[in-house]
Amino acid sequence: MISITKTRNYWFIFSGVLVAISIVFLFLWKLNFGIDFTGGSLMEISFKENPPQSEDITNVIKSSGVVENLSIQQIGEKGFILKFKDIGEAEHQQMFQSIQAAYKENVAEERFNSIGPNVGQDLKQKTLKAIIIAIIGIVAYIAWAFRKVSKPVTSWKYGIIASLALFHDVIIALGVFSFLGKFYNVEVNAPFIAAVLTILGYSVNDTIVVFDRIRENLTKYYEGNLEHIIEKSIRETYVRSINTSMTVILTLFAILIFGGATIRDFALALIIGVVFGTYSSIFLASPLLLVFEKATKKNK
Amino acid sequence: MTQKLRIRISFVSIFLLIIIAAIFDFPSYYNQFANLVQSKTKFSLPRVSGKPFLLGLDLQGGTHLIYEADVSQITSSERQTAIEGVKDVLDRRVNAFGVSEPIIQSSRSGDTWNVIVELAGISDVNQAIKMIGETPLLNFKLQNPVTEPILSDQEKKDLEAHNKSIKLKADDILKKSLKPDADFTALAKEFSEDTSKDAGGMLGFAKKGVYVSEFEKICFDELKVNQISQSVVQTKFGYHIIKKIDEQGEGDAREVSCQHILLKTKTPQDIHPVDPWVNTELSGEHLKKAQVVFDPNTQAPQVSLEFNSQGKELFKQLTTDNVGKVIGIFLDGEVISAPRVNEPIVGGNAVISGNFGIQEAKVLSQRLNAGALRVPIKLVSQQTIGPTLGKISVKQSVTAAIFGLLIVSLFMIIFYRIPGLLADISLLSYGFIILSLFKLIPVTLTLAGISGFILSIGIAVDANILIFERMKEEIKRGRSLDSAIDEAFKRAWPSIRDGNISTLITCIILIWFSTSIVKGFAITLIIGILVSIFSAMFITKIFLKMIVKKGNEKWLWMYGVNKRKI
Repeated sequence: MISITKTRNYWFIFSGVLVAISIVFLFLWKLNFGIDFTGGSLMEISFKENPPQSEDITNVIKSSGVVENLSIQQIGEKGFILKFKDIGEAEHQQMFQSIQAAYKENVAEERFNSIGPNVGQDLKQKTLKAIIIAIIGIVAYIAWAFRKVSKPVTSWKYGIIASLALFHDVIIALGVFSFLGKFYNVEVNAPFIAAVLTILGYSVNDTIVVFDRIRENLTKYYEGNLEHIIEKSIRETYVRSINTSMTVILTLFAILIFGGATIRDFALALIIGVVFGTYSSIFLASPLLLVFEKATKKNK
Repeated sequence: MTQKLRIRISFVSIFLLIIIAAIFDFPSYYNQFANLVQSKTKFSLPRVSGKPFLLGLDLQGGTHLIYEADVSQITSSERQTAIEGVKDVLDRRVNAFGVSEPIIQSSRSGDTWNVIVELAGISDVNQAIKMIGETPLLNFKLQNPVTEPILSDQEKKDLEAHNKSIKLKADDILKKSLKPDADFTALAKEFSEDTSKDAGGMLGFAKKGVYVSEFEKICFDELKVNQISQSVVQTKFGYHIIKKIDEQGEGDAREVSCQHILLKTKTPQDIHPVDPWVNTELSGEHLKKAQVVFDPNTQAPQVSLEFNSQGKELFKQLTTDNVGKVIGIFLDGEVISAPRVNEPIVGGNAVISGNFGIQEAKVLSQRLNAGALRVPIKLVSQQTIGPTLGKISVKQSVTAAIFGLLIVSLFMIIFYRIPGLLADISLLSYGFIILSLFKLIPVTLTLAGISGFILSIGIAVDANILIFERMKEEIKRGRSLDSAIDEAFKRAWPSIRDGNISTLITCIILIWFSTSIVKGFAITLIIGILVSIFSAMFITKIFLKMIVKKGNEKWLWMYGVNKRKI
């Protein structure tokens, strides 16, 4: 096996490029926020038999005079998802009555969401707050958990590196969704927040396992060569990291394939997060710890 | 206690725990099994009554509504109580729909106040939205002096004719009941229009003063036990055929038990219902505010009302004209208080006294304020899910969970052989325990919640993998199987602990900050993590210890260890 600490510069470049591309994506295309964040309406209707053409439905809805612009998307054989600006309940009734007038008993409303713009704005702020507090909480916990092994690496450094790795994982997941949003119209909605926060937790979890081994090996075998200890620890833990990720990814694929449209994007986000979380815990976090330690030592 | 014995006891108790959890999770399967056993062996197992899983509104259909409350008319110090009042109003409106466990919460961000309403399993969302959104209406009403409506001649005639036909029918039933072989109970079940109908007209023992006088006279004074009234008895309810069943006691303690058949007659009230209350000009807009005060002499809690200038005049007039009478205070058409006027109130400040507890007084003042302060609410977000979509989601989620479990199990067996198999069993018990916890706590299951659960399957396996990898390492270092197991659990623990605590931290933050969808996810994940630690550190360990014997050292490959590498 190749030495991960020796080849670390390649991994740094690889990660750096991925993060840079993701940031560029996010700047160019931002995220394709769904109605949970932007406000708007989503109506899902289904037909018992012979579903009409999308254009047909669009015309029926336009004729109700409630909205001018809407997007329509067929899901499955007999379902359609319609999206338009946020409307009140009276307007919603007016619109659905024209749909019913056109298709009678054949049509049923499966769900209707209408979210005001302030509600979405509120959700954005809350999310940002939650993520920041989560990161602070995790760093603080790691610093505390590693407090007994502050030699030769002070414990807060583990925390900082773990959060760097996690930043890396989340940014890449966001970058992928920015790309998917631009080209495949994949939207970012409330469950996505849950996904991002789970990636946070998972990424740290993974990194901690390697750090934990470093912690153990440092107390047992440390003779002044940190690089050696870190390499040894990575080797001892990578099988576990990959196997664990495999099991999580397998369950996520089960959700992705069988779980239904509403949580599919959620599973996809998690898969991306878990893959990069595993990668970063093996190839990024521990080598970074080494570099960080060396750099701060030199300055003294 | 020897170690061996301890392991065996733990093994048996884990086994029992799993069985109990499984029965609790799926009682219908267990009951079928019990039926089968009984039919084959005559051995009767106790049956278990089911407790269903609590499904969130995305799984059973329902609606999630966010209202923005306009509190601009209210001073900032009173906003909190005003919102509480709005919640109370919504709560009572929602209860009218008979929704099981509606959720009504308020949330504040900056200067906007929101009230969130979740109605699960509701059929008519549109009707609910219409009713919930209305601004609360507070009215002061007087008792209606008119109790009998005025009927036209034609109406009087129709009424008489109708009641006559009822009398004829009652006479007919009386005849039937007097026949020697008549079954009074069956007749009551067939013909009676009283609520006692299903009980065969049985009224049970009652003392004097319970029934209307005509009924009481027959039942207490005229009939003997087992005798049926010779003619139909007319009361304000209609025509009764009465049979005395039993009596007991003497004097004041005398009780009789009667059985009766009632045929209802119509009253003028049935044709033109008379509202027992009439509106006054005084309404919520005249009320400035209500608050809880304490009687200076007795310290008893009271509710004080403060009116505006126009309201003062109206209230003065109202109380002057109606001393000794009752004023009904209505919120949304429902009476919330009916105080008696003791004296004319001229100053515009009134107190409602009574046997209030502090809590009661608080609720009343809140309700009065809800009608007075007028917090208009606006629907800003609606998420409605139809029941069929929910059912599909449940099916999809269950399929995903089963496949997730299967794939992971297979992976574990291929990679870790015997320990993998044991981990699978511990994973299965993990599933059973989690599901029964969902029922016990209870946790409302949502789509996101189920994904949290499926994800936690992965996390549960992670702990096992950490342990097994460590075990392999220790075996390769030359430890015996037995001590390798002990060492592996001891060494893997810190990283299992630290890793899971960091996930727990994120979950707790999610519960604090997030919307209900995300909350559901975090709650199931927390439960999942806690139980996964238990299942890996305890269940897997006991299982491993149970099967490890000295001879197994030859078959290390069964433990996923490649011998040549040792």
